[in-house]
Amino acid sequence: MQRKENETPQGQAASVLVEFLEVAITAVVFLKGVYPSGAFERRRYMNVVVQRARHPQLRYYIHATVSGLLPFLQKGMVDRVAVVFFNTDNVPLEKFIFKLTVNQSYGSSVEGVDLQISLRSFLAKLSVSESLTKKLPPDCRWEITGNFQLLPETGTSKEANFWIPTDTKQWEQPLFITPIRSMSSDPLCLQFYIEHPSLSESSVL
Amino acid sequence: MDSRLSNSSSSTHHSNSKKRKKNATANNANQKTLGVAWSSKSLSASSCSSRKSPFSDFSSYMAHKSCKLQNQFDSEASASAARNTIFSGVSIFVDGFTVPSSQELRGYMLKYGGRFENYFSRHCVTHIICSNLPDSKVKNIRAFSAGLPVVKPTWILDSIAANRLLSWVPYQLEQVASNQPKLSAFFTLKSSKMSEDTSTNALCQVEPDVEDSFPRVGQLKERHPSEAGEMVEVCRQISNESNDISSKKTDVFMMEEPISERVICDEEKLAEANSSETNNERNTEGELDPTYQEPSTSVSIPCSDNQNVHQFPSSEATGSSKQCHSTLTDPNFVENYFKNSRLHFIGTWRQRYRKRFPTLSTGLNNGISNSNKSDINSVILHVDMDCFFVSVVIRDKPALLDKPVAVCHSNNSKGTSEISSANYPARSYGIRAGMFVRDAKALCPHLVTFPYNFEAYEEAVSCDEAFLDFTDAMVEDPELLASSIRKEIYETTRCTASAGIGGNMLMARIATRTAKPNGQCYITPERVDDHLNQLPVDALPGIGYVLQEKLKKQCVHTCGQLRMISKNSLQKEYGMKTGEMLWKYSRGIDYRSVGIIQECKSIGADVNWGVRFRDMKDCEHFLINLCKEVSLRLQCCGVQGRTFTLKIKKRRKDADEPAKFMGCGDCENLSHSVTIPLATENVEILQRIVKQLLGCFYIDVKEIRGIGLHVSRLENADTSKQEKYTLKSWLTSGSASVKKQKYHMGHNKHNSDCANCASSHGCIHSQGSSFQIDNKILNIHVSGDPISTPPPLCQLDVEVIRNLPSEVFSELNEIYGGKLIDFIAKGKGKCESSSSLGNSLEDDAICKEEDLPYSDPIPLNQIFSENKAMQHERVLGSGHGSCSQVTHNSNIERDDLLPSSLSQIDASVLQQIPEDLKAVILEHLPAHRAQAFCSTPAICPGRINQDSVGVDTSKNCPGTVNHALNDSLRAGNLPSWMDKFKDSSCLRKLREIYHRSGFNSQLSSVLPQFLSEFHHLDLTQEIYDETVNIMCELLKQYVKVKIERDIEEIYICFRLLKRFAVKSQFFSRVYNDIFPFLQAAVDDNYGGSLFMP
Repeated sequence: MQRKENETPQGQAASVLVEFLEVAITAVVFLKGVYPSGAFERRRYMNVVVQRARHPQLRYYIHATVSGLLPFLQKGMVDRVAVVFFNTDNVPLEKFIFKLTVNQSYGSSVEGVDLQISLRSFLAKLSVSESLTKKLPPDCRWEITGNFQLLPETGTSKEANFWIPTDTKQWEQPLFITPIRSMSSDPLCLQFYIEHPSLSESSVL
Repeated sequence: MDSRLSNSSSSTHHSNSKKRKKNATANNANQKTLGVAWSSKSLSASSCSSRKSPFSDFSSYMAHKSCKLQNQFDSEASASAARNTIFSGVSIFVDGFTVPSSQELRGYMLKYGGRFENYFSRHCVTHIICSNLPDSKVKNIRAFSAGLPVVKPTWILDSIAANRLLSWVPYQLEQVASNQPKLSAFFTLKSSKMSEDTSTNALCQVEPDVEDSFPRVGQLKERHPSEAGEMVEVCRQISNESNDISSKKTDVFMMEEPISERVICDEEKLAEANSSETNNERNTEGELDPTYQEPSTSVSIPCSDNQNVHQFPSSEATGSSKQCHSTLTDPNFVENYFKNSRLHFIGTWRQRYRKRFPTLSTGLNNGISNSNKSDINSVILHVDMDCFFVSVVIRDKPALLDKPVAVCHSNNSKGTSEISSANYPARSYGIRAGMFVRDAKALCPHLVTFPYNFEAYEEAVSCDEAFLDFTDAMVEDPELLASSIRKEIYETTRCTASAGIGGNMLMARIATRTAKPNGQCYITPERVDDHLNQLPVDALPGIGYVLQEKLKKQCVHTCGQLRMISKNSLQKEYGMKTGEMLWKYSRGIDYRSVGIIQECKSIGADVNWGVRFRDMKDCEHFLINLCKEVSLRLQCCGVQGRTFTLKIKKRRKDADEPAKFMGCGDCENLSHSVTIPLATENVEILQRIVKQLLGCFYIDVKEIRGIGLHVSRLENADTSKQEKYTLKSWLTSGSASVKKQKYHMGHNKHNSDCANCASSHGCIHSQGSSFQIDNKILNIHVSGDPISTPPPLCQLDVEVIRNLPSEVFSELNEIYGGKLIDFIAKGKGKCESSSSLGNSLEDDAICKEEDLPYSDPIPLNQIFSENKAMQHERVLGSGHGSCSQVTHNSNIERDDLLPSSLSQIDASVLQQIPEDLKAVILEHLPAHRAQAFCSTPAICPGRINQDSVGVDTSKNCPGTVNHALNDSLRAGNLPSWMDKFKDSSCLRKLREIYHRSGFNSQLSSVLPQFLSEFHHLDLTQEIYDETVNIMCELLKQYVKVKIERDIEEIYICFRLLKRFAVKSQFFSRVYNDIFPFLQAAVDDNYGGSLFMP
């Protein structure tokens, strides 16, 4: 938790956020039961019990993706980060959205502990939110997507090259939102909610 | 690292001992994998291996484990090279979630030479570290902490930072440390204190109108005893009243002393059966009959006195029967109710009596212990007035002596009141107590009915029966004694009494029954059996209608038949206690002894008659009066209570209007109770508690048919007064110390000097000058940069000067060379014309700011740190704080416990106050004062004024209301638009609740409470379109503000709204109106619609 002194508040918030996202995304994946529960192990993060992927590849995927977000988060370019579960036809069934707002003009330093406590509540709430989610069909897949406010130019930086456009289809009909948790503090403002397709669409599937 | 992980894992999950046991046992051989052992796989493994556990039982396992953990800790500690010993001797136990976490704390302890206990033990642990405690633990703090300090984790961090062991005291957990009186207690207690006028400091800081360039000087402090008293009278009338009563009460006590002594003397004489002496006999009777008047005419009985505070003309007794008797029409219903209640009258006599003869009971108890030994020979006398209530009424009307007469509540034509007492001629017609008057009239058309005449009862006697145990009195002939007593009673009261004598209380009572009217009967032990054989069962005390019916079913009509049934079967049939009672009574056995006075466990008042409410306001008004009544009763008994129970009789859904006029009919009984930490009898605290309790019922006030308030867990008021934390002692000790101490108050910026004094003569507080007024009282200190000239005249406040004590004034006048008088004459007009930007700065407001960065450079802090007595009384800030030098307008006339308007509150101060404190303060602000308060930090005092202006202008037409809403909501603060609600009758409630909730600007937390109260409003009030519109507008604004940053809050609010919409028409309209807007807003921001299940 030791951070460099010269970091901007946005930078500090972003690095806490990246850590948090890694844990939260793992928690979502665990919650949805895409993998057997044996694929996770209990760990402690911010003083709450969380899951961590045991499989190195899974762990790496989540870690690398979220770390790749860091420079963009710092610049405030990321609008939302989504964990999308979709079926074999690439039609999304459920999306867990982290909608971010990083206040770029915020000047004073970040109280790490406060931020942690706020973020902790997301994890706590998530662990009891299973009833809000839908049951997934047996072979579904998932991915992490990031919605950027503007596309990073490829080639400008190493990190930008990691990001590829997603193949996942978009829903054609209006979707439903079930909020799970919100946090609005400076410089970071985070909304966490689930998106479901409208009923007609889900019945077609 | 691995081993550490395992350790921490087990330590933090110590509460889950069962699970841990399994794990730890499983991994006993392989301790290193414990951290991983939480996964399901290893859990299953552990369940197998636990069978092979080497530990015989849990305790040996725990002992082993503790030992092992300790060893681990020791080895780790010795491993850490640079051993620092800040915490040597300290052994902490971390309870619950802390920041930093328990592992980090453990790390610190390792590093700095302390110990870390995984399991709590009184012997090893020296400090408990936790940041939060559940309520149950706070309540029972000793059981939890075993007397050890409960300290916040910052203590450790700060100690490390300071590199030495700091005192833990400042770091004590607030929950535990706040065992001191609450703010509320200060508000109320203080007022009574003030009214006593002993050492009140009405401090008033005065800021003269000066140019900015002037150094701001001229703080004057002054005490106005008379005005302080006046103020209290105005705003705390109730407390004053109770104060009066309490002072009366002490008077009564003082007078009681000799009386009770005399009674005891007489008792001794009685033991010699020296009953012929008139004087003595009279006193015997005084003892026999608690109500005997003569010796105590000068003593005002506290209880009745309290009631009589509100005038009790005797004509009212008859007149009241024509009065309206429902809570609907009678504003003083509660008072009148208890004035006219026979049961209340009877029920409270014992307390009245005990107050009068406090030592009597002990004397009696001695006698009892003797009498218990000689059981067989005991003789008990029971004296009972004959149809007492009637007798008193007709004793002045000899014409009615042989006529059937009854006493009942009201004389109304419907005859729906109950007869409470009938004389013997009337009884011969079959008229019984409890009958409706109309039925009685049917039986006996010429029945004369009278209402109660309590005053007369009080005058004559206060209760109509008494027991006397004269076992040890060696009375030759008990019958002779009885007859002389009866004669004496008749001579003094002109009412007849009957007497029964028996071997115990039961037999004496039964004998009296036989003796009535106007006779006496002695049942000797030999005749007990004969007498009981023929006695109908319902003659036994404790057998009521229901029990009698049950017995009748078993063909048991007399005690003789009852005796046939074995004790066991009686107990089986009627329960252990009732069965035993029946068995004993049917045999004439009664072990109760005379004179044992039970400590009352609870005190309360119930009103189950005439209770009808139209709306919440009625109900609240009623409760306020009920609280007064209960408070008075508590004071009567000299006790204070901690548990408050509100009982409500709610009309059953299908119940008709009850047969008895204004009766309660068929009701459900509901009750809620609450326990507070500090016992109280204070009427205002009671009112607050009761209001809260009523909120728990979620009941429509129209359905309420009866309300009772009971106070239990009583504590003696005298002992609780000795607690050192009560305000009174605080105040007195404070003022005492004020007299002794010398205050040095440096005014940092202005180099001026303050002299503060709290004395019985008044105090003067002057800046930039020093006056020597009274050496004993005033202590004046000249600052390092002495300015020994008085402040210019123009800086003086006229009002203050005028109100100075004359001797102080003349001295001041001297200093100013006589100009002061002219100045005052001139200033008079000027002062009146000045605008009402009152800026009276009160001491305690600053006191609260002690630790806060406060921009206004007024060095009063020190005054208050000394003068803590006044600490929490009020928050009055320089409302304009740093903004400007405000024209002064003296607020002396408006001297009040609380600021008269919120513009006087420094928002920044209020913000820094803890939530609960803030809530209390705001609650105590009259509603109209609370209007313009704004708790957002961004707002500056000036802004508050603007807001309040906005409120004023937007009062009348809904259009502007909405406009104002728009404006203030953009700023995003819930508080300011909550204020708009004051204009709408029904939404005002929401605002009140909001204020009560202590300004945690989340609507979702306020809404549920609102619903419970709104439920009533919804039924009682028309739903105006305008109200719906305002509510919609509020929600729209709220959505706009929150949608982007806090969708969860919006979601919760609308889920709640949806739930309310099912129950309430109003909310369903609001919900339907607002829902499309909400979805549109969500769509804009999130590209979807909110999913409402």
